[in-house]
Amino acid sequence: MMEMPFTTGSREADAAFTAAAARFFDLLRTFAAQPLGARAQAPDWTSFGSLLAGQFEQWLKGSPAAGASFAAAAGFPGAAAAWPGAVPLGPAAAQGADAQSAWELVMKLGQLQGELARHWSEIAQSSAQRFIERTRTKGGPDLSSEGALALYETWVECAEEAYAATVRKDDFCRLQAQLTNTAMALLLAQRKQAEALARAWGLPTREEADALQRQIRELRQELEQRATARGAQSTATPEAAAARPKTKSRPKHRARAGAHRRRGSAGRGRR
Amino acid sequence: MSQPGVDADRLFLDLGTRAAETLARLRLARDVRVGASARRAVWSDRKTTLYQYLPDAPARTQGRPLLVCFALVNRPYILDLQPDTSLLRRLLEAGFSVYLVDWGDPDDGDRLRELNEYIEQGLGGCVRHILEAHGVDALDLLGVCQGGVFSLCYTALHPGQVANLVTLTTPVDFQTPGDLLSKWVRELDTGLLERAGNVPGELLNALFLSLMPFRLTQQKYVRLLTGRADQRAVEDFVRMERWIFDSPPQAALALTQFVRWFYQENRLMRGTLELGGRAVDLKSIRQPLLNLYASADHIVPPAASAVMGRYVGSRDYTACAIDTGHIGMYVSRKAREEIPGRVISWLRARGEPRRRARKP
Repeated sequence: MMEMPFTTGSREADAAFTAAAARFFDLLRTFAAQPLGARAQAPDWTSFGSLLAGQFEQWLKGSPAAGASFAAAAGFPGAAAAWPGAVPLGPAAAQGADAQSAWELVMKLGQLQGELARHWSEIAQSSAQRFIERTRTKGGPDLSSEGALALYETWVECAEEAYAATVRKDDFCRLQAQLTNTAMALLLAQRKQAEALARAWGLPTREEADALQRQIRELRQELEQRATARGAQSTATPEAAAARPKTKSRPKHRARAGAHRRRGSAGRGRR
Repeated sequence: MSQPGVDADRLFLDLGTRAAETLARLRLARDVRVGASARRAVWSDRKTTLYQYLPDAPARTQGRPLLVCFALVNRPYILDLQPDTSLLRRLLEAGFSVYLVDWGDPDDGDRLRELNEYIEQGLGGCVRHILEAHGVDALDLLGVCQGGVFSLCYTALHPGQVANLVTLTTPVDFQTPGDLLSKWVRELDTGLLERAGNVPGELLNALFLSLMPFRLTQQKYVRLLTGRADQRAVEDFVRMERWIFDSPPQAALALTQFVRWFYQENRLMRGTLELGGRAVDLKSIRQPLLNLYASADHIVPPAASAVMGRYVGSRDYTACAIDTGHIGMYVSRKAREEIPGRVISWLRARGEPRRRARKP
């Protein structure tokens, strides 16, 4: 299976809520700290915009969900950053050409991430600009209870608009594909090196496991074909039809109303 | 007159209190249950399980058979998440004998499993079991999202086994201008994708979230905070969260084929799709077809589904846009009030599948 170093496996709604609430409070603090609207003689919208954009760019860079580089930007670099130390290989264990090619992929990934960072910056600047344009017409942030919430909704709207405008562009889509392709190629290159070591230690490799799986699939298909052919023959006579086995069924047990408890058991067993 | 400093202090105090209350409710809701209706496994093949949902009145279990086929990329319990939003329960209450395909979790042994196997052996096995069990020639099929695509393919290949077809949020044109997902995967190297192995569910989640990251990872939590949600609302929210982040892994080859054939080559719409060496011709679908799609869907844009009528051969085709988003089609109030009623009345108006002629 592909590796996903940036996810933890379990994800609780309260943790996600806490993170989003913290970000919300940070944003409100930024609004509250600005000498804008009625509070300022000469509002400094430029500084406010830069501050918002900077904070937003940091968040974009750190959030695995923000950005189409879902795998490449947030996941695989975990492996890439550790390269080659985390891979239990030395130059002696791998082919020189393989190591060179993997290293080139790491370099390429770094270069593509640099390009991605430029897109994050564009989104952040554009979001802040849109937000300021809309807020300025209202005389500045209103920090009453309702005003703050309306301000937040406006901020999200601006961020989504700016994001959508960028991530739909052809160059972003191409970059996204390149990032994912490069990350997958790097994963495969790492695997190839790991397999070289496995072979040296006499351990089964992915390639061998795949070959076995293909054999099993072929055998299973052959069995199914033979069973189908036998079934067709047996239905030719009434006696044989009567003796034909029924469809494979599980025992019919009545399930209790209720539910599986946790993620992982969902969709399996009785509910 | 408003005093900005005082306003801000009051605001932070108020929101801080609400945040603490909401967090406490979320923690209380951690073990909330998902799944509302009793069911039993009646057939299985490898990881695929066919469940029959059990109505409160046992006499109804031999009602008209309706098979629900969900997507591979999410778990089907969203259709029975909780009693008040359960589409399956509404169908049961209307007297249908409701079955659901659960694809299970593919493991490393499934990485070479093909799309055709999911459709012919998985979905096909479920269909054949139900036809046998009910003694009918054809059943009603309801396909959801990617499961709707599978249902279209299956119906095109085996038109005699499907009496009426209902599709929910089901794309036919995978390259509409508004389809961001399609744009992103257009230049994906599917050879690498296939060789990289099964794709973890978390990766797909990240992909779906990244379509609208601020709404889906920030705003919805802040709205929970500011909306003064009570314990019940928080529990409903947690059920949805559990489903959203509970995605099964994807078998490498099947996912690769789906991306390449549907998203990159748009074969279903172009009429060039083949499964197991057989052409999938949507014009072969002549049975009544009800197509329900969401007008604000960010995963399956309305245009991707709305074109279905042009490509199928059915003369009894009904399309209906529901004013909601993709997930809203399964759990929103709109969905609760509108979708089950539409499906039930449409199916009832089309009569029951034929019973098999008894052999002398």
